Amino acid sequence: MGLGLKWYHFALWIGFIIFMLLMPEMVSKGTLRTIIFANFLAIFAISWDILSGRTGYISFGHPFLIGIGAYTTAILTKRFDVGVEYAIPLAIAMTMIGGTIMFLPALRIKGSYFALVSLAFMELMYQLVQVIRPDLTGGTRGMSGLVTLTRGAVNGYYLSFTIMIIVALSMWLLMRTRLGTALSAIALNEESVKGSGLSPTKLKLFAFMTSAFVAGLGGAFYVHYLGSIAPRALFDINFVFTIIVATLIGGASTIVGPMFGAFFLTFLLEYLRPYLPGAERYLIYGVIALLLYMYQPKGLYQIMINQFNRFKKDEDDG
Amino acid sequence: MLEILIQGLLLSGLYALIAVGFTLIFSVGRVLNLAYGSYIMIAGYVYFYFSQLLGLPPIVGLLLAGILGSCMGLLKYNLIVKPLKGDHIPVEISTLILAVILQSAIILYFGNSAKILLPIFQGVIHIGNATVTYNVLAATLVSWLILIVLFVFIRKTHVGRAMQAVSMDSKGASISGVNINKINMFTWGISGFLGAIAGVFFASYTQLSPSMWVAPLIIAIAIVIVGGIGSIIGTLVVAHIIGFMEIISVALISPQLRGVFTMLLVIIVLIIRPKGLFGREEL
Amino acid sequence: MKVKLLRVVAISMSMLFATTAIAEIKVGFIGSLSSDTGLSTLRGAEIAIDELNAKGGVLGQQIKLVTADTRQDVTEGVKAYEYLAETEEVDFIISGSIDDVSLGWLPRMQEYQIPTLDTWTSYIGIIDMLVEDYDSMKPYFMNIASDEALATLYIDFGKDVLVDKMGWKSTVILQEDTAFGGAIHGLISQAMAPVAGIDVVETIVYDVATVDFAPLYSRAVASGADFIYLISSVNSQVVSSQYVKLQVPMGMTGVNVAPMGQDYWEDTGGMGGGMSTLTPIPAVGMKLDPASQAFVDTYQAKYSSRPIIPHFNGFNAYHGLKQAMAAAEEAGGFNNTTWVSAMEKQDLILELDGELWLRYAFWGNDEVEPRTGRKYPHNLRFDITEPFDDGAPSMVVIQWYEDGTNAVVYPEKYANGEFTLPSWVKK
Repeated sequence: MGLGLKWYHFALWIGFIIFMLLMPEMVSKGTLRTIIFANFLAIFAISWDILSGRTGYISFGHPFLIGIGAYTTAILTKRFDVGVEYAIPLAIAMTMIGGTIMFLPALRIKGSYFALVSLAFMELMYQLVQVIRPDLTGGTRGMSGLVTLTRGAVNGYYLSFTIMIIVALSMWLLMRTRLGTALSAIALNEESVKGSGLSPTKLKLFAFMTSAFVAGLGGAFYVHYLGSIAPRALFDINFVFTIIVATLIGGASTIVGPMFGAFFLTFLLEYLRPYLPGAERYLIYGVIALLLYMYQPKGLYQIMINQFNRFKKDEDDG
Repeated sequence: MLEILIQGLLLSGLYALIAVGFTLIFSVGRVLNLAYGSYIMIAGYVYFYFSQLLGLPPIVGLLLAGILGSCMGLLKYNLIVKPLKGDHIPVEISTLILAVILQSAIILYFGNSAKILLPIFQGVIHIGNATVTYNVLAATLVSWLILIVLFVFIRKTHVGRAMQAVSMDSKGASISGVNINKINMFTWGISGFLGAIAGVFFASYTQLSPSMWVAPLIIAIAIVIVGGIGSIIGTLVVAHIIGFMEIISVALISPQLRGVFTMLLVIIVLIIRPKGLFGREEL
Repeated sequence: MKVKLLRVVAISMSMLFATTAIAEIKVGFIGSLSSDTGLSTLRGAEIAIDELNAKGGVLGQQIKLVTADTRQDVTEGVKAYEYLAETEEVDFIISGSIDDVSLGWLPRMQEYQIPTLDTWTSYIGIIDMLVEDYDSMKPYFMNIASDEALATLYIDFGKDVLVDKMGWKSTVILQEDTAFGGAIHGLISQAMAPVAGIDVVETIVYDVATVDFAPLYSRAVASGADFIYLISSVNSQVVSSQYVKLQVPMGMTGVNVAPMGQDYWEDTGGMGGGMSTLTPIPAVGMKLDPASQAFVDTYQAKYSSRPIIPHFNGFNAYHGLKQAMAAAEEAGGFNNTTWVSAMEKQDLILELDGELWLRYAFWGNDEVEPRTGRKYPHNLRFDITEPFDDGAPSMVVIQWYEDGTNAVVYPEKYANGEFTLPSWVKK
């Protein structure tokens, strides 16, 4: 297929999947609950990575997309008694429309400016959700008692892991195609992309659509896992912050990296809980994130590759 | 009408004061310092600690806040911006992480509850239907004073002209013998100082709370984006556009849409004229 | 290299598999550890547990408290609830959560069926969930009077004090743009104003991030109304202190969250006189029965940091936790059927000078409250008609004076001060 796949790629993926499938046998339910959040964060981080890690269009307003997906399905199921089997696809479609809206400014601006416009999108959404039709959106308090797809930690775990791994694997494969490589080229030089006969605009639109698809999918399943939704929890700078930091700590533009980053951050926070129950936890968490990022802006993925190479070198030398 | 004029001028003055330090960094260093709001927050808390809790004279509190802001600026430049070689996105992300860290630090030390700073200058005067506190009046005067001094400084002094040169073309400036590192350090220090002074006035007008860094950051970003990088005049003019827009929407249209108008203005200007209303030729 | 790698793997695995064994009764606290609200509930629970443990605990076992911080963040709230339920495996949860945080973790409560007592949120929507789906919601109790009850009694305040005593006929409403603001506004404009005969001249809705209230106050003054009706829950110190700083020449009352805590005076640096607000009870400035006063004394001896006096939910947590443990004693555990029916029967009447002062009990499932004509299953048993002999009133109105003191001004039975205007307002 020309994707540059090696035997160890298969071995690593299969090993990872088996390990994760056995997880409920090995760990407590509390830990499983933590992994569920990590799975969802991984989906959001991958969605962010497709758009921002690749093309260089940094989105500070990703919850705008996730929120459209989450709110669409929440409103449809709660207020109009639509079944989830219809509500979730509709939510994803709505999110892709949201992705198109977010794409429009990207035709003219990029870099820090685009980041700010996306932030403005999120802020605007935050205000609109609360003001327009609070009878539908639940206003400031949001909605509770939404349909949940699973009960219990184990089921929730399997569902979230399945979605996450499908998203991760398909995006990982997609990014290894010519299309994926071309996307990365946009970040470096749009002119050269043009020179090679591809349309940068179409490529960009593709990135926005794919990212929105994943965000909508993740957002919709997330809300049906939580069973509740609130504007303050979604359209929040801290949420953006977690998604971006997960991606960068893991390693932007690698798909696998954001997955690692999401797991690392979620576990870091949960394991600090018994020792530092209060605000100290976030201080330590932030400091670790900042130091890691300053140490290696390319993330854990790069650190692991470096370690692996050094390890291999040791082996060869010895 | 008179009260709209007065209130508009006062609010715009405060906004210009908030934005000017941010403009400097964006122009000279070309990076968005997303931890800029933290100068404002920390300065407010420093002033609160020294002047309200320990009872030192307001001017001492103000100066201490300014000095600390300046140190923060220098530290940020040396520990974050320089190691990341001024790369835009990494600097923006790191400063955002830093802002969140500082927020947790404030929560840890001062708790989550909002506090009110006593006005630096007490008292009010009534002009028509409008009531003006001396405190806001002082903020506006300080704001004008700082903008004028800065404008003259950049035009007339050696360092100022070097800053201008770096802002326009840092490679060119470096070739013609400007020490880029020194200019950057200087700019970060000044920016921190200005942010801190703005912070004390902002906090004494509103409140102290661990999340107070977001609102002024958004105001500063909006002003700088709409004004266009590199323009002190632009900052001043746009601070007035946004300030007056806000007062007019509150007084005559609908107060709940106060923030929405500003957001829309930012989005529209960014899409129609990404360079901002005032280009970028001059600092 | 290899050894080091193995060690890292081993350590991370052991952390992954760590679970805790339990031998005592575990109570979980969910709420924000850095807000006055959260700390009030936490400390109320801590003191109750200390006192119970000193007397031998519950069910022959000592009680242990574990905390889960929500940072007032909805998603963190869900995680915190899961942590308490599945990692700590607590028997009972006491919550100092705010509205949307409680709504966030409620689906988890329905799933785990852990007995849970909410002490702060008064959102009627949660009680509605109990009305609609009692079976899955039954481990949930709320021992603060819900919105509806607060509102109804408040209408009487408008009639008795604002109209009859102050002679005010018209108001301008200054309302924050939140669901809370919208709900209270509905109450004032559709219920209180028509019943009390107050004319709403204008409603000004403002954005919660508003920095500068000068133009809003100018607009209010220009409306020509007799007084300002303020509705503020977010950043309410700002709007209150700017009222004082700007010396707005008009009376103001309303629903304002910041002055509900004793720390308000210090927080506003003294710029908070003249404010009055509705508040749940036991409010600041209110006289207390001996049991609640003893709780405050213990609290002040034990804690030196803020809040200097627990907010109303601290009292609810203190009395409520003891009731929950008593119910467990009666039911022989925290089983969600027997415990629930034992909890439903708890009834604590606290008297002051021989009169009913506070009452911690719950409305029955099919009981209809006569004045509002609706059911309040598992909500605190409140009373909204004089002479408050069936329960405590759902709310009181408190006033902060310019010298930094405060008092209850309504209803009369609880009042120990006068409703007054700030000195700069011409009568």
